[in-house]
Amino acid sequence: MTDVGIEMTDDVKVPPLEGGHLTEHEVHPTATGISNEKLSMWVFLGSECLLFGGLISTYLLYKNRPGAIEVRDTVSGAHVGNAQRISDLFDIGFTSVSSFILLASSLTMVFAVLAAAKHQQDKLRLWLGTTAALGAVFVGGQVYEFTEFLNKGAGYTSNVSTSAFYTLTGFHGVHVSIGILILLATLALTFRERSQVTPERVEIVGLYWHFVDVVWILIFTVIYLIK
Amino acid sequence: MALVNARTPLELPSGAETTVRRPLGVFQRPVRPTGWRSWVFTVDHKKVGIMYGAGSLLFFLVGGIEALLIRTQLARPGLKVLSADLFNQVFTMHGVTMIFLVVMPLQAAFANYLIPLQIGTRDVAFPRLNALSFWIWLFGSIFFNTSWFLGGGADGGWFNYAPNNGVIFSPGHGIDFYAVGLQIIGVASLISAVNLIVTVINMRAPGMTWFKLPVFTWMALVTQFLLLFALPVIAVALFLLTFDRLYGSNFFNASLGGDPMLWEHLFWIFGHPEVYIMIMPSFGIVSEIIPVFSRKPIFGYPFMVFSGIAIGFMGWGVWAHHMFASGIGPMSVMAFSLSTMFIAVPTGVKILNWLATMWGGRLRFSTAMLFAIGLVTMFTIGGLSGVTHAFAPADTQQTDTYYIVAHFHYVLFGGALLAIFGGFYFWWPKMFGYRLGEKVGKWNFWLMLIGFNLTFGPMHILGLQGMSRRIFTYSPDQGFDFWNMVATIGAFTIAVSVLVFFANIITSFRKHRRTQEVVSGDPWDARGLEWMIPSPAPEHNYDEIPVVTELDEFWHRKYGHDEEGHLVRIASAEEVSQKGDATNVHLPSPSYWPIVLAAGLPFIGYGVIYNLAWAVLGGLLLLAGVFGWVMEPSTDPEADHGLHGGDDLEPTAEAAFEEAAAGEGDPQAELEEAPR
Amino acid sequence: MIRRTSIRRAVWAATSSALVLVAAGCGLHDDEKPLNTLAPKGKQADEIYSLVTPVFLVAGVVFVLVMGAALYLAIRYRRRKDDVDGVDEPIQRHGNTPLEWGWTILPALVLAVLAIGNVKTIWTLENDQRDAPMEVEVIGQQWWWEFRYDVDGDRKPDVITANQLVIPAGTTVRLAIQSNDVIHSFWIPMLSGKKDAVPGRTHHWAITAAEPGIFQGQCTEFCGLSHAYMRMEVKALSQADYDKWIEHQMAAPEEPSAGSEAEAGKQVFFTKCASCHQVNGYDDTGKKLDTHQPNGDYRGAQHPLIAGNAPNLTHIMSRDKFARNMFQLYEDGAKLEGVLPEGDPNAGTLGSWLRNPPGMKPMNADANRGMPNLQLPEDEIRKLVAYLTLLK
Repeated sequence: MTDVGIEMTDDVKVPPLEGGHLTEHEVHPTATGISNEKLSMWVFLGSECLLFGGLISTYLLYKNRPGAIEVRDTVSGAHVGNAQRISDLFDIGFTSVSSFILLASSLTMVFAVLAAAKHQQDKLRLWLGTTAALGAVFVGGQVYEFTEFLNKGAGYTSNVSTSAFYTLTGFHGVHVSIGILILLATLALTFRERSQVTPERVEIVGLYWHFVDVVWILIFTVIYLIK
Repeated sequence: MALVNARTPLELPSGAETTVRRPLGVFQRPVRPTGWRSWVFTVDHKKVGIMYGAGSLLFFLVGGIEALLIRTQLARPGLKVLSADLFNQVFTMHGVTMIFLVVMPLQAAFANYLIPLQIGTRDVAFPRLNALSFWIWLFGSIFFNTSWFLGGGADGGWFNYAPNNGVIFSPGHGIDFYAVGLQIIGVASLISAVNLIVTVINMRAPGMTWFKLPVFTWMALVTQFLLLFALPVIAVALFLLTFDRLYGSNFFNASLGGDPMLWEHLFWIFGHPEVYIMIMPSFGIVSEIIPVFSRKPIFGYPFMVFSGIAIGFMGWGVWAHHMFASGIGPMSVMAFSLSTMFIAVPTGVKILNWLATMWGGRLRFSTAMLFAIGLVTMFTIGGLSGVTHAFAPADTQQTDTYYIVAHFHYVLFGGALLAIFGGFYFWWPKMFGYRLGEKVGKWNFWLMLIGFNLTFGPMHILGLQGMSRRIFTYSPDQGFDFWNMVATIGAFTIAVSVLVFFANIITSFRKHRRTQEVVSGDPWDARGLEWMIPSPAPEHNYDEIPVVTELDEFWHRKYGHDEEGHLVRIASAEEVSQKGDATNVHLPSPSYWPIVLAAGLPFIGYGVIYNLAWAVLGGLLLLAGVFGWVMEPSTDPEADHGLHGGDDLEPTAEAAFEEAAAGEGDPQAELEEAPR
Repeated sequence: MIRRTSIRRAVWAATSSALVLVAAGCGLHDDEKPLNTLAPKGKQADEIYSLVTPVFLVAGVVFVLVMGAALYLAIRYRRRKDDVDGVDEPIQRHGNTPLEWGWTILPALVLAVLAIGNVKTIWTLENDQRDAPMEVEVIGQQWWWEFRYDVDGDRKPDVITANQLVIPAGTTVRLAIQSNDVIHSFWIPMLSGKKDAVPGRTHHWAITAAEPGIFQGQCTEFCGLSHAYMRMEVKALSQADYDKWIEHQMAAPEEPSAGSEAEAGKQVFFTKCASCHQVNGYDDTGKKLDTHQPNGDYRGAQHPLIAGNAPNLTHIMSRDKFARNMFQLYEDGAKLEGVLPEGDPNAGTLGSWLRNPPGMKPMNADANRGMPNLQLPEDEIRKLVAYLTLLK
């Protein structure tokens, strides 16, 4: 079979191919120089922007729609007043702390990617685990926050602002949770004999995780901080 | 699917023998190269494309029967063929079926089959994901249609406005099936979009720069971007609807602060790019067919490409032209009216470029060419009526009448579908090794063209004379009798033409089986890379990946031109084609997991609607699918998949990585020693 | 390969299509068709028609040019029977950039010119509505239209009717279009375009009838089961007649004479019908009230979503149709165009309706939408018809 030469940049060090799909452990020469897997994550994140865009728009439309929420004291259950919208019940201080935790998890994710690039398996596992743990703390904080709102009387179906709020933050929380599962799965896979966890794969996980974090920054700013 | 039985000899179609080695997981990967299992577990883009096509044609019959029921009911005033309730279900299901279960997957069929061939590669970027998209689509479509047997189909119209789509006004499960079913189908298209975008960006043959990409691939690529960004928006709308219906939220409940207009906006922000999703690949198909049968290149390739990209961008700025009468206020009306008017410009450019391609050519009126010219003429009519409703005041008379029904059937049937039929006739030999009969094909075309115009032409008049859409009957004193009868006759004529199409498939297949004749790789003397390989296309596509130096590379290997610009043959097709007999080609291995994973989704769907126990079952299937998938490498390193000489693989990159991680070895040297 | 017969076939197809189109075109403006948008009878419909005419013309010209070009090219450049592949081949033109720029810019210019008229008309229609001297509330609900007039400007309706919207001819009326349940759309094609009725919102839209007359309409946004049967009409009267009509509507309802069948019918009415239908001056048990001004919130009419109220029947016989403007209230030969219809009431149709409303129009009475079958005995039906036909 004749050899079909392919123009390659210096960065992609692979032997020229005859063609055919390589096993996943061999680097696939691509027109952009980015692997298919990494490119696919970028493309997918593009569609996720529209998903969250739709949910954020829904919240923005409904955040000031009146519909009384009877606010109850969480300890005594007594009716202490009426709120018109979910944002009346926000505890910015608490949410700031959990936002910081999620931000920190992005930092630990960066450490994980660096460790993978340097082939430092132990450090990789440490930082993957830490990121997952911080993510879990964030989700735990969300659960606590929602429980507080619920006890105060702002349920999912109380009015449109609560429905929109819980849906938006709920979708985000699901994305974080899936991210945690992926982190833990990646961590587990590093223990396998023929580990498929290449530095690039860790980077791709990192892309997803950072995206989820950026979305949260947007949500926190638009929903919590801007009245 | 047996458990390990080491050293079982396995005979392959090439005659070579190989052994089944110890697999990685519990189940050995499917290996059969023929039979139903080679389809159900395939990851080959060509088989996936053919399955999309077959499934869509089946649903085309379903949607067509629904259309005939509508036309029968409306043939005369006051008929009772369908009750009002049943009519509402039939027209809703007809719309959803034709859009999501017919036109979109037919475009996916062509995109899947052709894109890797046209860009000169062996498969898409993620073959298992490709199969997954198909099975999710198929199961979602079947799930959606089970609503007929489970209390009635969706009955709110394909656009399903709130609050009529809510649980108060539509208490049955029909709309739940709509919401959940479309959600599932949307996932399929989204995955496919990611796959094809990465494929086109990353896997083009060496030398194939962006402006040497075939027009079909360009149009299909723009379509994938539209899908990528539009589907999440309708996903949001469908989630909000599902939460309203099942969990009591109030997103569309006006009495508690909800706004029905939110549904309209979310739906149409999806809905307008959606119509470009449906037409753009057909524009690409026509751009492939007309040059071949005019024996000239496409006129104005850069304008064709840029107009496609322009339509892709501008299509995001026009959605509220579906809402001119909805009360969005005069400023919005003006803005969207102007943007809608101007989107006609890039579309018009295409029509003129196609005509200019024919100009000065040597036109051959094959069936494919007839269908392509059909799009050029019929889409023009639909496009012109579209321009008339870009004028918002005019639209306040035209919207929600049969004039709109005429418009979109002209662009979708006369446009998208006619081109798809043309695509069938054009690429059938490449897919199956024989041509569809040309004589019967001409009957197919003319019956379809006449029937189509008889059906939808009069609807322009009906609409302008006041016939509203979505009405199950009308009164004799309204003046709609005559043209409705004409339209019904036309509809049955279309039905006959569709039967002729299927008859053509059957007779052509029988003739092929009887004579055992296989057409050459290039029966039409065509232009693109896909014609450079035998018919039917071999599983590995190209023996060697071609190096591309210009647009229509294959054509330029056959033909040059003289000083005056006339065509001059420099080589025969056989001389420059590939033989298709390569060995030593690694291909992605078939897999069980796409269909297993996809099977989980309808169960989750039933669970969401009826009983969460089903959702748990579906979730388990899903997880099993994901687990199995992640555990298995995309190409089974143990697999001798029929096309490999048989040596064990030398150390791979992954092994090199591990060695480096252990502090040994030189990864670079290892890589350089890796096998091809 | 294309032969002479195919050319003949193509030309035949083209000419016959053209003839069909011309034939279809004749009769397009037929104003015998009651919903014809091409037979405008009022200012707004005229404005739209004036915009649409040049647009259709331009579209028609483009249509002829493109179809003509396609046909011409197909014939002129067809491969001849004796053409040899590889020898008789066309010149390989790849494009012509100036030409392509030309046919990109030229349509854009044409559209830009047409856009001027477009924008003008959009704002004219908007200003028609803003400047309109009178307003009527139009409320859609499954599956009928209610009309409310506030004559004295005290924010309380003075007249509540259904199905037939009466307006003075020659005056622009602003409609305040609302919905009590799902999205509907109010459309009287001969007088104006349509405007959706969306729950939770009020949409303003102008309508004018140039001359007195009756103009038909249809709900044009899919609203469920009986969408096809949700009709209405506009009756335009001269200003003098309109004033008389308002006066008549604001008058107390007719009272049946003692001992008549109609009086018995009134008893039945307040037992069986008043839980949904209002007759001005009475509450829903039949108790006479001090005022005969209609109650705007009768049976929760102001609460959106399945209000459970039905058309106001105080002056039902002043209209010419009932049940979403579907069925005739008067026998054939009645004079309908004046202030009040004159003719024989259509007792038969009224009776059929009372006997089995869902049988005549699909409805969801069990979900509180539409009129249920009350299983009325025949004598009660007779009495009710006697009472209802009195309510002019």
